[in-house]
Amino acid sequence: MKRRRSPPFRSLLGALAALAAGVFAADARAQVVELDLNNATFHEPSGKSAMTVYNPGATLTVLPWDWLSLGVHYEADIVSGASEPVKAGPLSSPDVISQASVVDTRNLVSGSFTLSRRNTSLTASYTHAAERDYKSQALAVIAGTEFLQRNTRIELAYARGFDKVCNVAYPPNRDPSVRTPLDSSKGCFTSDVKRQEQDIAIDTFSAAWTQSWTPVFTTQAMLSFGLNHGFLGNPYRGVVIGASGQVAQEHHPDDRARFSGSVKAKYYLRGLDMMIGGSFRGYKDTWDIISQTYELEAERYMLPWLRLAVKGRVYNQTGALFWSDDYTGGEPEFGPRGQYWSGDRELSPFKSYLGGGKVLASWKGTRDKRLLGVLLDFSAGASVDVIKTELEDFTLAGERPDDTTAFVFGLSIHGGF
Amino acid sequence: MNNPASRALIGLGLLVVMAFAGGCATVRPEQRSVLADPIMQFESESPEEAQLQHVLENREGSSGGGSVKGGGCGCN
Repeated sequence: MKRRRSPPFRSLLGALAALAAGVFAADARAQVVELDLNNATFHEPSGKSAMTVYNPGATLTVLPWDWLSLGVHYEADIVSGASEPVKAGPLSSPDVISQASVVDTRNLVSGSFTLSRRNTSLTASYTHAAERDYKSQALAVIAGTEFLQRNTRIELAYARGFDKVCNVAYPPNRDPSVRTPLDSSKGCFTSDVKRQEQDIAIDTFSAAWTQSWTPVFTTQAMLSFGLNHGFLGNPYRGVVIGASGQVAQEHHPDDRARFSGSVKAKYYLRGLDMMIGGSFRGYKDTWDIISQTYELEAERYMLPWLRLAVKGRVYNQTGALFWSDDYTGGEPEFGPRGQYWSGDRELSPFKSYLGGGKVLASWKGTRDKRLLGVLLDFSAGASVDVIKTELEDFTLAGERPDDTTAFVFGLSIHGGF
Repeated sequence: MNNPASRALIGLGLLVVMAFAGGCATVRPEQRSVLADPIMQFESESPEEAQLQHVLENREGSSGGGSVKGGGCGCN
């Protein structure tokens, strides 16, 4: 098979070339280059549908002048495991539940620049991501300003995503109840007449206010609004919607508006050389999902170069208006559960609990005395987080899924040159 | 005024008013050494935090309230 360089790869090469040109054309006195390498490994053990995702990433940031920062970022999601392609409820036979292997890689590249002048900054970025059955492009703009002796920072951000998802090429007028799920990504984003591309538009707006109240106390408040439009389901997922076992492709509404607000606070305990922090986030959307997130964290300098952080998080959400664990119970034709059906457990009511810790070692040099002769600063970190999910109303043909505990292992390295 | 858009607008207005009210409590530049420490920064942009948020957003039905971004979910 002839190997071609993928668009993300070409984009990455172009961005790297532009960055290199920026570095060598710049005034040497202002140059700073920062490199971040990291990887997160997500593992969800299960007897039948274990899932592992590796998420390596690299970010290169160049500051050729004080007023300009250029960045390029690459990351991948390397997914392997198994999932259930058909969602059935307690009224169905367990025989309809089978496992399908999932192997895919998502490549993402992004480039950004930040212009800074005194107390204001403007960042613009472009992101391109692709996997076999999904493509995404996004533009984002972030403007921020500091005032009142830099104790107050206001930041406004807007992003627009232009995504495409591969689906079965069913006629537009085909009733959703007789649409079949996508069986594989074969033929996606080609001229295959059995495949079509469906658009997803994603608009996100956010406003953040960060305030320093005392020399050891700071807060951040954020409001966010998002609007998703297009095919918002999983094309591979089928849902049993008839008592006779009729399976139809998952069918969600085409529009979803999301609102969220969060407040975070950090306080530094001088006597203990430790930061304690907490946050609350509330969320509501037009699918009637309401969620609350509570977080507590603490981070301490164990040694001048060594930090240890721990955190705990509790998340609670209600189910979507049209969520049901079983759609075969004679739902009304025009009620939300009659018009739409979902097998997505993210739309069911559940709670999740997260506990984690991180250790980070960092060293600083100076322009005259660099670490190992080349580095202005260097840091390395490792983290582990455990997530436990309690599904309140989700079964696979009446059986509780066993993939409700997940582990996330993180590694990171940072170097400034 | 009970719809979510109105409430979001009111919240945004309150946020701006509170921002100006926050000017009453100022920290002088020479007092900012602790606030400038990485331990006191809000880490919405750090790579580790972004990766964990990516995982959580793929496992939960709500997203938003963090930094704006794109790129799909890699979760099909």
